Amino acid sequence: MGKEHLGEFEELVLLMIVLLKEDAYGLAIRHAIKEHANRKVTIGAVHGTVNRLEKKGFIESQLGGGSELRGGRRKRLFTITNSGKSILEKSRDEKMALWGKIPELSILKIGGQG
Amino acid sequence: MKKHLPISPKFSDRILSWCVKEELFEEISGDLYEYYNELTSKPTWKRSFLYWYHFIHFLQPFAIKKLEGTQKLNLYGMFKNDIKTSLRIIKREKLYSAINILGLAAGFVIAVLILLYVRFEQSYESYNPNSDKVVRITMDYLDGETLIDQDCETYHVLGPMIKEEFPEITDFARAYGLDGMIVTVDGKQFRESNVYAVDPAFLKMLAYPLIYGDNQTALSQTGEVVLTRSSAIRFFGKENVVGEQLSISSNPLKIVGVINDSPANTHLKFGLLLSYTSMKRTLDKRENPWDSNDTFTYLELTNPDAHPSFRENLSRFSDRLREEDYIPDERIISQGIKDIHLHSHKSYEAEQNGSATLVYFLLGVALLVIIIAILNYINLSTAQAINRAKEAGIRRIVGSSKAELRARFFIESVLLNLFAGSLSILIIWAVDDHYKSLAGLPENFQILTDPGSWYLLGTLLLTSTLLSGIFPAFVIGSFKPLNVLKGDLPNSKRGVIMRKALVTIQFSIAIFLLIQTFIAGEQLSFMINKDLGMNTNKIVVINAPVLNDKKQSFEAFSNSVRKRASFLNVGLSSTVPGLSTASMSSTTNIGLDEEPRDLKNNFFMYLIDSNFFSTMEMEMIEGKDFPEISNFEYPIVVNEEALRIWGIADPKEVINKKSTFWGRNHTVIGVVKDFHQLGAKSAYLPMIFILWSGEPDYISVRLSEGEVLDQISELEEVYREHFSTSPFDFFFLDQNFDAQYRADRQFQQIFSVLSGFAILITCLGLFGLSSFTVAKRTKEIGIRKVLGASISQIVNLLSKDFITLVAISSVVAIPLSYLIVENWLNQYSFRISINLWLFMLPTLLVLFIAFMTVFSKAYQASHINPAESLRDE
Repeated sequence: MGKEHLGEFEELVLLMIVLLKEDAYGLAIRHAIKEHANRKVTIGAVHGTVNRLEKKGFIESQLGGGSELRGGRRKRLFTITNSGKSILEKSRDEKMALWGKIPELSILKIGGQG
Repeated sequence: MKKHLPISPKFSDRILSWCVKEELFEEISGDLYEYYNELTSKPTWKRSFLYWYHFIHFLQPFAIKKLEGTQKLNLYGMFKNDIKTSLRIIKREKLYSAINILGLAAGFVIAVLILLYVRFEQSYESYNPNSDKVVRITMDYLDGETLIDQDCETYHVLGPMIKEEFPEITDFARAYGLDGMIVTVDGKQFRESNVYAVDPAFLKMLAYPLIYGDNQTALSQTGEVVLTRSSAIRFFGKENVVGEQLSISSNPLKIVGVINDSPANTHLKFGLLLSYTSMKRTLDKRENPWDSNDTFTYLELTNPDAHPSFRENLSRFSDRLREEDYIPDERIISQGIKDIHLHSHKSYEAEQNGSATLVYFLLGVALLVIIIAILNYINLSTAQAINRAKEAGIRRIVGSSKAELRARFFIESVLLNLFAGSLSILIIWAVDDHYKSLAGLPENFQILTDPGSWYLLGTLLLTSTLLSGIFPAFVIGSFKPLNVLKGDLPNSKRGVIMRKALVTIQFSIAIFLLIQTFIAGEQLSFMINKDLGMNTNKIVVINAPVLNDKKQSFEAFSNSVRKRASFLNVGLSSTVPGLSTASMSSTTNIGLDEEPRDLKNNFFMYLIDSNFFSTMEMEMIEGKDFPEISNFEYPIVVNEEALRIWGIADPKEVINKKSTFWGRNHTVIGVVKDFHQLGAKSAYLPMIFILWSGEPDYISVRLSEGEVLDQISELEEVYREHFSTSPFDFFFLDQNFDAQYRADRQFQQIFSVLSGFAILITCLGLFGLSSFTVAKRTKEIGIRKVLGASISQIVNLLSKDFITLVAISSVVAIPLSYLIVENWLNQYSFRISINLWLFMLPTLLVLFIAFMTVFSKAYQASHINPAESLRDE
């Protein structure tokens, strides 16, 4: 699995799944992305991505409960796997290391945000 | 609230369940459903839009069912099998497949090529975004209220007047044609035939934006010239020539702009434009602007819809001018410039226009050929259906539904059509160049790279697939399986009758096309071989120099030429036979003596020297040819047509009569036999020949026997001695004259090709049908032979049916063709009379070809050894 690469949008979805904990399913992930990352994507795009993430082994899924709101259909709930966690950490560490190497930009940026 | 759902989820769920993988279906539909319910606050349309937007975005590779494998489309296997068996059948029945594919491909090729031609003819002026708004005004010559002639040139004062008068006209642009100008650039001389003096608005109105130069000011001053890109390159060897100088007839002019060349699909083509004010000197000299209508006038409307009302206003305006006696016998009308190419055939058109009739005629024929090809397919496949009945029966019994069976045969048609389509692309690619020259399309006309041809081919393919596929599919699909398997073949009377009817239709079309081809060919050779009233052979016509060379040089030149043994005679004239009416001036209201001057017919003026008639070998039927020195001040010769208009039967009567026009009193000294100025297509024109001592436009030289090329170089030598600076441009009179038949020749050639194809396709079909019949009757033939039938009896038996059909077709086709052909011939002023043989010959030819087709198969069948054909029962 070490070879697996994590795309930018994949990483975002993965983070949202961690964030949403028990209730991470397609539509909810879309909402979270809209709320936290201010990005509008189609539901189909989210489904496509989680599908890929599951194939890569970063998340696993089980069917959850349905509701009247969903016309009685069940949700597919996603949880992050260990390899998913480690790739997230790896991705973060890599980026931190890179940021560390460019202090001027890093300070400027952080300063700007503050 | 929750129960209210304007989109039935059932419907979208159904679509989803068709195309989305089963294991993903629940979550996807659930999410969509939930999403939809979240949107309750939005307006319904937005809700639906957003819903479908997300819905469609689920159709991605990850979600869509695979065609094969465990989640395959239900019918996929069936389709695959259908295609496979169809391909096998196509391979096994090589003859039928080849006939079908060839027939359909030929039909496609014909249809695409003709439709492209039609599209080109209809595309005139389409390059111009303003073309809907631009109209041209033209003159109608009236006798009382009867229309005598139409002229597309108008008075040069009309443009400005109309712009003043009508609020719906935003601008006017006149174009005054100058023929055969000599352009001098740095001492080099070029003969430029398409020169127009135009108003500045011309460039904008006819959509020629300057590539180089100032769009605002170009052509507004006297002495300004705009060149097309290719003239610029021809004159200067480069494109940007703004600011350079050139001169026309020794007048220095300044180049202020360069524009694109006129496209092939415009009625007004030119190489050089002059500012209209440069012509003022010529125009202002005339005292009365209503003397001469010699300029094209284009007007721009505020919007295209204003044309009908403008027409009415123009008619009132024209009536007023008529009452005020400016134009006593004329009417001004307008036409959209888009209508000019196909619908306008007036005097003095800028070029020979196309013909809407021809375009529709060809369109009809293309349709007929396609119909023949499709009928062929239907015929062959339903005839063959009997061979396929067993397959159909078995399929039904093993559980195929009618619809599945139909799909199976439909797929076969689809495949055959696809093969035919690909073949037709190859053929079109191969005949591309040849076709362009045949149909007279411009060299750079793109056939295969034009998306239009692909749309066309696509549409054709689709239509033909549907038409040719549905019928056989239904016939075969409806066989009753039990009967079929019992051997009770559905050889229904109805099917046989229908096939016969279709064959009859095909042959009627083929016979009609061949008759039309024969008649067109006959008419063409009639026109080419017709006595023209002169001898056009071995005459070289030189474009006269128009520079500073004076009259003396013309006479001196003529004399030097006449001294040489290579040349028999020299004649000078303002025009020569074969040139359009635009090369002549014309005058109305010409009468004789005291007779009233209210003849509205245009009389065409021929300015000639005393040697012209003898050079052309034109025959004087009365009076004298022009002598070197005449007793009369203004002698004229008229032709027979002029007498006819004057209503004079005896040519003797007119001799020495006076005729006053152009402010001079002319005396008729002779009558010349009618000759064809225009091709034999057009009627004779009333002509008046005036002895002219001014500069001629053309020098005609009759060559003696001998090597033409040597004579030409000898002629050039003499020419150089007299006119050292002018270019030596010449043409052969007979070639130039024959060029008028180009359109007719093209029509005849296109038609031969079309009828050839039609006959080919029809006979392919006949061949297929007869070989099928023979195959079916092999046993019968065997038995007959055993019982003592002779070969001729068997051939007779097998071919009788088909030959009868062809005979019936001829009975249908001949009267119909007669009507159409008679109509077609009436467009010619000099036409052949219809002769029974012109109908019988093509019919017999088709009959013969059909007979040979059937015979080849029947003869073969009659020679099969009965022992062979009867062995397996």
